[in-house]
Amino acid sequence: MLADSVFLTSIISVLSDAAAAHGEGAHEGGHGGHHGVDPDAKGLFAGDGVLSYITNSVLVGLIVVGLILWFVRGAMKKVESVPGKQQNFLELVVEFLYKQVENIVGPKIAPQAFPLLATIFIFVTVANWFGLLPGVGSIFVLGVGPDGHGQAPLLRPATADMNMTIGIALISLVVWFVITIKELGVGGFINHTFGPKGGLKGAMKYGLMPIFIVVGVIEVISIIFRPMTLSLRLYGNVFAGENLLHTMATLVQTGNAAVDFICSVLLRIPFFLLEILVGVLQGMVFALLNAVFIKLSTTHDEEHGEEGHH
Amino acid sequence: MLEILHKLGINTPDIIAQMLVFGIVYLILSKYAFGPVTALLEERRRRIAEGEDNLKKIRENLAAAEATAEEVKAKANAEADRMIKEARETAAAAGESERQKAAAEANTIITKAREGSEQERARILGELKRDFGRLVLDATARATGKVLTPEDHARLNTEALSQITNN
Repeated sequence: MLADSVFLTSIISVLSDAAAAHGEGAHEGGHGGHHGVDPDAKGLFAGDGVLSYITNSVLVGLIVVGLILWFVRGAMKKVESVPGKQQNFLELVVEFLYKQVENIVGPKIAPQAFPLLATIFIFVTVANWFGLLPGVGSIFVLGVGPDGHGQAPLLRPATADMNMTIGIALISLVVWFVITIKELGVGGFINHTFGPKGGLKGAMKYGLMPIFIVVGVIEVISIIFRPMTLSLRLYGNVFAGENLLHTMATLVQTGNAAVDFICSVLLRIPFFLLEILVGVLQGMVFALLNAVFIKLSTTHDEEHGEEGHH
Repeated sequence: MLEILHKLGINTPDIIAQMLVFGIVYLILSKYAFGPVTALLEERRRRIAEGEDNLKKIRENLAAAEATAEEVKAKANAEADRMIKEARETAAAAGESERQKAAAEANTIITKAREGSEQERARILGELKRDFGRLVLDATARATGKVLTPEDHARLNTEALSQITNN
């Protein structure tokens, strides 16, 4: 049933976007001559006020948040021991995700890490799928931008905007840092990063200390770059997917409107199904990588030692 | 570097706006969805575990109760057998005693009856003797026409009685 509805949504999206794709040539010319999706999210309101920060991707982000909260509110409105359909689905998702998180970060850290990781997975997945809906990227509004004379898609896939992926990655970094410090303490974190590993003792420990310090510096650099790698990975996949769909929609240009329309529909169907899969996979990858980062930073050295002995 | 950031559309206000969007959903889901749902799941898991424990205890209690019941039943059967045996023995003993008692009473009654009968017979026989003696004396006195003396009375009585006894 779910698969049918997803497939149907994809078909509708293909049809809708295919129709829009024929009219996009004129629009693209109007905003910088980009072929495919514009990497720059456009502000929807003119001027320099607070509303000017609402870009089309922020709008989609807010809609996705609204959808998620609407569903959660419906599921949690009347919590019962014998759950209804919505509550049952939410419990299914939460239980599945919690088990995955617990398997990676362990039962002690799982309660702290789970909300972030589950939110990442749910938000990114829903945002990715929302980008496949008909109308996203194909309905344009006029009179936008700082000068009030531009035009931009009303809706734009939120995760195809790098500001969004950087935002999620930065919040992940902050939560990762808080969890790590709560677990290890500041001294423990410094020792964990720069200190000797592998249970070394005596002269060997002090002899290798400079190397571990250098390794720690490299570790810090990698931590600093994490938000960039995480955000680029997600952004690259989703943005590439959007461009792929756009390219498939405009690949056949025979001059015959009917042929072009049919080709744009048929060529995109397999890629839509692929993007549905990519959407959930990217959500999972983003969450899993964060889970691994949390696991690595909160594992005590003695545990490492014990694991090594095992 | 800045050019790349610009081309990608990266700018601080947009990042902050997107962080707010994600932060809102993160905080709300943490507080109103994941917390209650994980608590509910934990509660359900605890209840199931409790139910399993209770089931296990109930099964153990049932097995123990069945064993106790079997034991009690066996004891009751043994006790019942013993009581039946005792009752039979007691009944047999009581029956024998009653029978002996009845036989003794019957013997007593028979003996008493015999004695009464003998006494009655002796009494009747005495009366008969007296009546017969008187009849003999009257008949003798009328037949002889003489007045009989006490010696005649004694002799006639003795003869008449000896005749009766012989007959």
